[in-house]
Amino acid sequence: MRPENYQAVPLGDSNEYEIFIGPNHPGIEGNYALKLILDGDTVVKGTTDAGYLHRGFEKLMEGRLWIQNLAIVPRICVPDPAPMEVSYSLAVEEIMGIDAPIRAQWIRVLQLELSRIAAHLFTFGGHAATTGMYTPMYWGVADRDLVLDLFEDFTGGRVYSIYNIPGGVRRELPEGFLEKLSHLLDYLESRQNDYDNLLFTNQIFVQRAKGVGVLSKEDALEYGVTGPNLRACGLAFDVRRDDPYLIYDQLEFDIPTQQKGDAWSRILVRRDELFQSIHILRQVIAKLPSIKGPIRTAIPNPLSWNVPAGEAYARVESSKGELAYYVVSDGGDKPYRVHVRGPSSMHAVQTLEFLAKGARIEDVAQIMFSLDACPPEVDR
Amino acid sequence: MMKKELKIKSNKTNQQKQKRTNPLANVFDDFIDFCQSKSLFMLHYCTGCGAIELPPAMTSRFDMERLGIQPMVTPRQADILLVTGYVSVKTLKRVILTYEQMQAPKYVIGICSCTVNGGMYWQSYATAKKLNEYMPVDVYIAGCMPRPEAVLEGLNRLKNNIKNDRKEQKGSAWKDYYKNYDYYLGNQQNLFGKEWQTPVDVIAEAKLYGLEGEGTYGENTKKLKMVQHPLLPQEMKL
Ligand code: SF4
Repeated sequence: MRPENYQAVPLGDSNEYEIFIGPNHPGIEGNYALKLILDGDTVVKGTTDAGYLHRGFEKLMEGRLWIQNLAIVPRICVPDPAPMEVSYSLAVEEIMGIDAPIRAQWIRVLQLELSRIAAHLFTFGGHAATTGMYTPMYWGVADRDLVLDLFEDFTGGRVYSIYNIPGGVRRELPEGFLEKLSHLLDYLESRQNDYDNLLFTNQIFVQRAKGVGVLSKEDALEYGVTGPNLRACGLAFDVRRDDPYLIYDQLEFDIPTQQKGDAWSRILVRRDELFQSIHILRQVIAKLPSIKGPIRTAIPNPLSWNVPAGEAYARVESSKGELAYYVVSDGGDKPYRVHVRGPSSMHAVQTLEFLAKGARIEDVAQIMFSLDACPPEVDR
Repeated sequence: MMKKELKIKSNKTNQQKQKRTNPLANVFDDFIDFCQSKSLFMLHYCTGCGAIELPPAMTSRFDMERLGIQPMVTPRQADILLVTGYVSVKTLKRVILTYEQMQAPKYVIGICSCTVNGGMYWQSYATAKKLNEYMPVDVYIAGCMPRPEAVLEGLNRLKNNIKNDRKEQKGSAWKDYYKNYDYYLGNQQNLFGKEWQTPVDVIAEAKLYGLEGEGTYGENTKKLKMVQHPLLPQEMKL
């Protein structure tokens, strides 16, 4: 029903016009909005409009105990929550001057890589859907659900596990878990051909994705792009290898790269990364049973737990890019200041605005999904 | 012109309602409710993290479509509005705009504890805590975050409410928005400022549906009248 008090806005002489995409729009990833100025179907200027998901995380964390913060950190990035927990725990451990036991570190790697697989499967579907292909979305979400089942098995939560605490992990792996994991990896590998035929080499998709949203290496560095988006421009930078944390220096894995820097290269990098994660997980499965020992270093009573004064910066490689926590403690039972360096704010704000300029309107959604930004992490 | 037509229509519907003594009419009403509950289009506004459990619920594994529920992209053709998680103040304005654009009968489902009472973000300065202060909610699905099974259960409950609406009056929360518009508008104005108004003329709609009640007008709607007519789109401050 057209409201009674509706009045049309008169248009000026210029050919340009303005449209809004989002925040509630199928072509937008999450709760995020773009304002585009168009000439015909070419974008003259794109402005992002963030802030729909702002909760004031960094302020909230100053008001909660060290242990309570563990419950809210995964909420910063919903599709890929595990790196958040690990990164926060690593930062607190660094301030306290303790290390997680070796076995806990291996289990953390297992969790991180599983989470990466889940996040990438989710992205494939989202990216494909923006080009009008809905089957990969159904497949990706269904396969991701198998990973979530495993998460439920060993952490108790499907999406938010809250499995890490400073000093280690909360629970031992359940019996028979590694076999289940091994079955899942076999299954995912057996799907490789299907996914290739359906998506990665499918001409319907390739024609749409090739040459769209091209980011050069120089621009990528200038805009602070990290993760798969940077590796798609030909720069093999990965925190797991270049600044190893946990036990990544004992693992063997490649850093997949592509040269072109367009949407297709980005999804190919993610595809290769998924299989690298499977490769890493196989090494974990082989090694984990031989590593005995505790899974947690004792921490004081968490309700009256004062972390000594100090500051730490801990970074990990999430599925979106480089993620870091900067934590400052003044010796109290709550953090003095927490800063989150998320990869998505660089991807979804400056980079997206830069790439949207000159793109066609039907490609804007694809560019956004190919950057794999995570709106809750932009706003925090 | 418009207004006169509306009045005539609303009079007619009122008369029809009073005249319904024919038992067949009741059967017909039941049949309409039944059909309505079997074919629902859902608009999911991904306001928060609960949205991540919707793709599994919608796709192959849990398959919402077998319940007769399908996603819809525009509010004008949707029956259900899913609010999936915490609503920041900036989002809440859009949620209200979306809700008012939907055609009646319309239903709201609040997914996640955050829509019930603020959940995890009870002390956050940026979120609105209780969704049902700003719009009537039919079903809440609590949990942080609720599993896809819980989402389906909630939708099933809504379907039952719609089916038994005439007997139990459970599926008509949307009427509450018209009957108590003053209350909802007051809460919205408290949060967004006194100049808050939406392009939808809710009072005229209430007249059209014959749902004016004592709570439709009041202190807060008076403020609305001072600034309304005509409402230029630019004046809407979001
Ligand atoms: S209830 Fe939990 S999962 Fe749902 S929106 Fe709130 S924090 Fe997120």
